[in-house]
Amino acid sequence: MNKPKGYFFPLRPGPGKSGRLRLSSKLRSIQLIITLTFMAVTAAVAVIVSVMLYGKFANTAEENANLNMQQIIEQVNYNLELYVKGMGSIFATAEKQITSTPSIDSPLLYERMDTLMSSREDLVSVAVFTPQGQYVVGTPGQTMRMNTGLESQSWFTTAKRTSEISYSAPHIQNLFKGRYTWVVSISKLIQYRENGELRTGVLLLDFNFRTIDELSKQVKLGKRGYAYILDPLGNIVYHPQQQLIYAGLKYENVEPVLEYAYRSYLDESTGEKRFITVRTLAQTGWKIVGVAYYDEIVTTKRDLNQFLAWFLGVVLVCVIAVSVFLSWLIASPIRKLERTVKQVAEGDLNTPINVSGAYEVEQLSRRFNMMLQRIRQLMEQIIYEQETKRKGELEVLQSQINPHFLYNTLNSVIRLAERGKTDEVVTMIQSLSRFFRISLSKGKNIITIQEELDHIRHYLVIQSFRFKNKFRYEITAQEEVLQYQTIKLILQPIVENALYHGIEMLPDEGLISITAGLQDGLIIIKVSDNGLGMSKDTVNGILSGSVKSTSGSGVGVRNVHERIGLYYGREYGLAFESELEEGTVVTIVFPARPAGEAMDEQKEETNL
Amino acid sequence: MKSLRVWLTVLLCGVLWISVSSCSGASPDYISTSKTRNIHLIVKMNKGDYWNTLKLGAEAAAKEFNVNLTFKAPDSESDIEEQVVMVEESIKEKADVIILAASSYMGLAQVVDQAAYSRIPVISVDAEVGSAKVRTYVGSNGYEAGQKSAERLIELLGGFGEIGIINFTNSSLTPDSGKSGSIDYGARDADEREKGFLNYAARFPNVKVVQIAYTSSSTSDAESLTREMLNKYPQLRGIATLNEIASQGAARVIQGLKRDSVKMIAFDSSPSMMESLQDGTVQATVIQNPFSNGYLAVKYAVEALEGMDIPERVDTGTKLIDLENMLWPENQKLLFPFVR
Repeated sequence: MNKPKGYFFPLRPGPGKSGRLRLSSKLRSIQLIITLTFMAVTAAVAVIVSVMLYGKFANTAEENANLNMQQIIEQVNYNLELYVKGMGSIFATAEKQITSTPSIDSPLLYERMDTLMSSREDLVSVAVFTPQGQYVVGTPGQTMRMNTGLESQSWFTTAKRTSEISYSAPHIQNLFKGRYTWVVSISKLIQYRENGELRTGVLLLDFNFRTIDELSKQVKLGKRGYAYILDPLGNIVYHPQQQLIYAGLKYENVEPVLEYAYRSYLDESTGEKRFITVRTLAQTGWKIVGVAYYDEIVTTKRDLNQFLAWFLGVVLVCVIAVSVFLSWLIASPIRKLERTVKQVAEGDLNTPINVSGAYEVEQLSRRFNMMLQRIRQLMEQIIYEQETKRKGELEVLQSQINPHFLYNTLNSVIRLAERGKTDEVVTMIQSLSRFFRISLSKGKNIITIQEELDHIRHYLVIQSFRFKNKFRYEITAQEEVLQYQTIKLILQPIVENALYHGIEMLPDEGLISITAGLQDGLIIIKVSDNGLGMSKDTVNGILSGSVKSTSGSGVGVRNVHERIGLYYGREYGLAFESELEEGTVVTIVFPARPAGEAMDEQKEETNL
Repeated sequence: MKSLRVWLTVLLCGVLWISVSSCSGASPDYISTSKTRNIHLIVKMNKGDYWNTLKLGAEAAAKEFNVNLTFKAPDSESDIEEQVVMVEESIKEKADVIILAASSYMGLAQVVDQAAYSRIPVISVDAEVGSAKVRTYVGSNGYEAGQKSAERLIELLGGFGEIGIINFTNSSLTPDSGKSGSIDYGARDADEREKGFLNYAARFPNVKVVQIAYTSSSTSDAESLTREMLNKYPQLRGIATLNEIASQGAARVIQGLKRDSVKMIAFDSSPSMMESLQDGTVQATVIQNPFSNGYLAVKYAVEALEGMDIPERVDTGTKLIDLENMLWPENQKLLFPFVR
């Protein structure tokens, strides 16, 4: 397992890329996307709905206002018709009284006419004139002014021209002394008797504007709206601002009004938008004109506008609040998950993932946990398998030690036998047999230190025959150490190394000393020789495998180191100290475990 | 998180701006009637048809433009001190605008400057006042009116004869015998009318203006002045009166005397003057537009308050009315205020 720990997951981005990545990842965050989308959609919907509602409502409001106005004008029109009809009937009454009276100057007629006068507040005067303009009779009893110009006044000329009842435009009543009043005159040619003689005369009734004014005052067309009355010639009969119009300070665009009897339209001649509604009176041809200011009609529109603005504002605030909350709700578990996964990616496979939140996220976290567990399992399995494989390889290597050594030893035995050194042959064979017995150890891989030391002793005995006593050896061990376990055949490669590289070339007698001791729960075995020693480079090269032994069993000390590492952990193994011309000390360190304590023994057996 | 918030804020502001801006249209170019303005109208006198009609016009405008109109006038046209006090009061009461028909051209100049100093705009109506601080003058051209009067009278007289003038002014300060050369305390409109009349009459060598009498503001005073004049100048063929009160007084005297030989041109259009016109006592009258004067003065006062541009001088015109044209519809509308 010399691969990096984050092997299963993509590497973190390098520093060069991270800046750009962070910006765009901000913009692509779930929370932002949800919030913006939510807001955009809701805002769009709210705006569209508002616009549609506004259009609809505004139209309806305008139509309603228009309709309302038309109804009001209709009502005024109706009342005015009633009023005009009333004037007509008063005129008829007066006419009837005059015609039925035998003599025009009878006191009875005066009385009746006075009664008529008092019945109507708006009746200013009643009078009869001859077709030449002479005053015949009248009420209230008045004296006429001079220079009245009566003959040329419209009410007089019209009455003489037609037999119909005629209504004049408003004018100043200048006939009688007293006041000058603005009146509307009703006139007609009538028959009257004077001293038994039937004569023709002009009957005149003057009405002031009191009733018309009252009728018009009822008209409420917004704050500034009003109604005015126009005669068929375009003279203004009544206007709430009549004096202003007379003084030329106000202007009323009457031309379009005159063209139609019944009409509603939008007028902009005064610079302001105004709704004009025209209705025409049947009897007089007078037109009643309603004027409503557009901006007042559209106050409802403006109210609506304001309401919608507020509504939109509130909706947007709510939407923002909700969308921020919602996106937080969704995004925060995902973000948490992301953080945890990142931790995992950084190598901490034991990070627990317990993210609560939306169902999907919870499921995701659970599945991820399961996946992680599985990954851990698989990794353990891989490690295990790799180690086992490695061990197997080593076992094979280890098994190679023996035939080679056997071959050499048997050669030596043959030589000894040829020379007839029977005792030595016996010792050799004895040691060999013991050596192999320990080597085999019934197939066990773990033996006691006692056995291992015995094994190396036998090996050294055999080798001392081969090297013709070129070296001495001593093995010392603490009594208590002997019963601890060790991997077998860890000393042989080291000693072999010492013999072949340290002592073989030595001119003097060599010394190999092996000590075994217990220190702080660790077994420490030292193999020292007084051989040639090694250079620093060689020492460093041995464990990394760059220096290969060219002789001996071919099983390097590195294998010993690796085996110890595999069984006990990477922190244990061999350590070399060496000085050229001085010798080498190899220290083996591994944890002390009493014999019989199984350690991977089962697996070892099944795999072998 | 930070960029998110910025985005949200930007978006929210945008949407709000759109929704708000769609609601408020451009402001209208007519006078807003949403706030009440306090306008003080101070005229020369609290009686007489002329001033009543002017007041009617002012009231019509006040109603239309949501103005709280305070009407003030002394009892007499010659009461300059009273008018000055009234203007001072209006300044103290912090009127939004003061509309003034000055009884004296110079007599009210100082107090008008005071008003301008207190940042109260002053608009003069009918009669001007000797201050550069006046925003605008609404009224008729007195000089022109005087000329119209003279033209008709001389025409009636056939271009010769003695003429007497009854004018109005502050008689207590200016002697009858004409201008003393010192400060002119007269009303500007009276001066202008007189000047117009005299300048026109000067073209006719056979026309002689024998006397100019100044009445204070009462009909009875005008009556006695007329009688004195008629006694003093038995050859008098024509009388021109230059304001309403003088006209009414003189007309009454002439009517009582039944002296048809004396032609008279009056001023202003009170109903009684129309009566005199109709019965032949008075041959013609020069009319102004008091209703328009009142209305326009208030209207321009409001416009000035609104910060709109107003003309420096508004001539509401004069017209000569005689028996023949008095019943013309357009003249009826000018002569008789429409009272319902």
